Amino acid sequence: MNQDNSLRGEFSSISPAEFFYRNRQMAGFGNPSQAVYSTVRELVENSIDACEEARRQPDVRVSIDEERSGVVRVTVSDNGTGVPYDEVPNAFARVLYGDKFTARQRRGTFGLGVTMAALYGQITTDSPLIVVTQTNHATGRYYQLLIDIENNQPVILSDKSHEREGPGTEVTIRLKGDLNRSRERIYDYLQLTTVASPHARMEFTINGSSILKMGWWHQLLPTPTTPSKPHPHGADLELIRRLVADAGERSLHDFLVESFQRMGKRTATRFLKFLALNPRQAMNTLGREDISRLSSALRSFDGLGRPDGKCLSPIGKDAFLTSVESVFAPSALTYGSRGPTEWSGNAFIIEGVAAIGTGARAADVPALYRFANRVPLLYDSSEDTLTKMLKRVNWVQYGVGSTTPVSIFLHLCSTKIPFKAAGKQSIASLPEIEHEVLSLLRELGRSLKKTLKRGERSVRDAQKKREFDKAMKQVAQFSAELAERDVVPSTAELIRRLFEVDHHV
Amino acid sequence: MSDQSKSLDVLKDIGTAIVQSIDHEEFPTLKFPGRGTENLVYDEKSKQFVLGNTRVTRDSSNLRHIKSFTQLVWVASYAKQLLQAGRTSSLRDLYYSSEAFGVEFTDQAESDRTVTDLECLTGIAREAFGVFPEERSSIYGQVTMRYTVAGYEGRDVDLTLSPDGLPIGPALVTADPIESKAELILAVESGGMFSRLIETRAWDRFNAVLIHLGGQPPRATRQLMRRLHDVLDLPVYVFTDGDPWGMHIARVISTGSANAAHIKGLTTPDAKWIGVTADDITKYSLPSEPLSNADLKRLDELSRDVRYSDSIWQDYIRDFRQLQRKAEQQAFSRHGMDYVVDKYLPEKIC
Repeated sequence: MNQDNSLRGEFSSISPAEFFYRNRQMAGFGNPSQAVYSTVRELVENSIDACEEARRQPDVRVSIDEERSGVVRVTVSDNGTGVPYDEVPNAFARVLYGDKFTARQRRGTFGLGVTMAALYGQITTDSPLIVVTQTNHATGRYYQLLIDIENNQPVILSDKSHEREGPGTEVTIRLKGDLNRSRERIYDYLQLTTVASPHARMEFTINGSSILKMGWWHQLLPTPTTPSKPHPHGADLELIRRLVADAGERSLHDFLVESFQRMGKRTATRFLKFLALNPRQAMNTLGREDISRLSSALRSFDGLGRPDGKCLSPIGKDAFLTSVESVFAPSALTYGSRGPTEWSGNAFIIEGVAAIGTGARAADVPALYRFANRVPLLYDSSEDTLTKMLKRVNWVQYGVGSTTPVSIFLHLCSTKIPFKAAGKQSIASLPEIEHEVLSLLRELGRSLKKTLKRGERSVRDAQKKREFDKAMKQVAQFSAELAERDVVPSTAELIRRLFEVDHHV
Repeated sequence: MSDQSKSLDVLKDIGTAIVQSIDHEEFPTLKFPGRGTENLVYDEKSKQFVLGNTRVTRDSSNLRHIKSFTQLVWVASYAKQLLQAGRTSSLRDLYYSSEAFGVEFTDQAESDRTVTDLECLTGIAREAFGVFPEERSSIYGQVTMRYTVAGYEGRDVDLTLSPDGLPIGPALVTADPIESKAELILAVESGGMFSRLIETRAWDRFNAVLIHLGGQPPRATRQLMRRLHDVLDLPVYVFTDGDPWGMHIARVISTGSANAAHIKGLTTPDAKWIGVTADDITKYSLPSEPLSNADLKRLDELSRDVRYSDSIWQDYIRDFRQLQRKAEQQAFSRHGMDYVVDKYLPEKIC
């Protein structure tokens, strides 16, 4: 009996907040240096999303102050929409609360990250989270919030009117963290963020001194994504049950056409004929068996067109090339993209830039920069499927070798990124993604090969110019001696003109 | 001395033209007569082959020209330094000197060609700039020469001074003949024959100035031959091996080489080839060898050469083709050591 009681005692549920705190390494808060980095990252991602929502060019300022050894104060402010005031406590101080549960590409997914950072800060420093936010045409508000971990509820310590210079949000979190070991990662992260979001500007200040200010490489804001209907391949039982519950008396045929993308009237008819189901059957008369059949048939049904790409926001050729060029000043670069296609019903596009001469060290395999939904991924690269695919390509056949430093920037965007863990640092291996990544890398390799050949030519041109330059200087010197002139005439202009003409030919 | 200042003026003009081009931001060019055999023309007046009107251009804006352009301007400036310092240099010396100036030549052949370019450009022989070849041929005979080179002015040399003969170098070429018992010049191809003629006192017997050619003779040798011929009025006889190559040595002495057609004063138009001709091989029953493929090919080339358009030379070529054999000068030794002096030469020199 006693035994039974003690057993029963262990079967208590824990709140999501508690769960995530106990498993904080999964969310990227495993050690003090990663904690600072993850806090910055979660806040910056939210900020950029908020600015895009407001259709403004993001202007994000990150400042970190070290209060005493091991305790830092991270503040991130933006010029975004601001958070509706009645949502602030829940949005920031309640785990798994948010507006991002729709099938479109967003940087954050569950609204989990910022709360996780707040939670981590609260537990390590016993300090509240401070939020200053202002929506359009309103006075700003100032909040101090704590999380009631056991009940997953916000605790409001302070809520008052507060002047702000304009719409936007500023979040401050005090946490135990290792600034020295994280500052370089944060720098890289912000720099690479301007690569993946060329319309954004990042500013980074440590202890009052500015150490990075870059971005706004490209003026165009990304086209807003629109949520898509689910893809039939993503129709797992859970989804189907939810949809069926809302379907009421609608016919099976209408249900399919209305609920799913790529499911036109004809396709639906064909599909139901194949399943031998009556298209006119009312949804609320379907049995469990039927629903289960429907789900597995939808998931394996081929003969569907490409998934809807409107839910995705690839960086795009011009913007991607411009940002890589602005940040890394390569001597040559090339762009490629594959998709949209889908994995388990989730639409995705993979795009990439290959750049020569970015300062990366030359190696048999190019240096890789990974991005997922416009977020740079800096940790766990060896686990990542992008890294694995990169290594699978025989780069030597594309002329990449010990003498040519090449960098590859890969951006996977999807309505759902298959991360390996909640820390969102590496992408899991999925056959559909592997296939497209490999194809893209080979495509980049082929155009790299062409570019490298052209590059060799330009190296030869430079060599020619040096030869000419040297020879003409000698000619000038020897002829001045012959002519008994003390001043050797300058040949710089001659050489410059000769090669200028050559380039236009 | 006036020759020297004239040379300096020519070099200065070249330099000035280049500097002015650069001042005007134009790529300088240099033009001079081409040296291909198709540009060889016989000049009635000088009785030698000279370069025709075809001109080549070295354009410094052309990638294929810039290297040779630089080399040419450097050789000109090097020549100027030699002239100003009163020094001489061998072609080999010049080739090695280039490195110190950061000018690159692939090999000596390239620097030799560049020197020849300078001759074409200026119309002045390299010897006037103090540039001489490494190899020397030799001279022996009853002539006294008076040096004009710096440090030796007024000193005399008897060309019988050494039983080995005296090397023909820059000093001897510019020396003046002041005394002579010689009545003819006998130029021979091989060193062996030259020594034989000295030892057997053939020079005394024929009153001959002996010259060792050593294959195609250096220009200084041809120049000296020409001077002795002009100043002392000596007829020139050329005695070579009996093959197309030997025959061509004689022809170059009288009509000039393609390589030096731009230089005047090197040829002796009335120099006479005494043999060994194909006829001689038969007549003196000389030990002989069959003509090789290379020999036959050379005969073909020569038969088409403008310098061989005379019927007498076409006959020589025809005779070799018919006989299909060749013989060296030394072949006369089969008839005894003195045969060539006692029998052959008297019959040829008259």
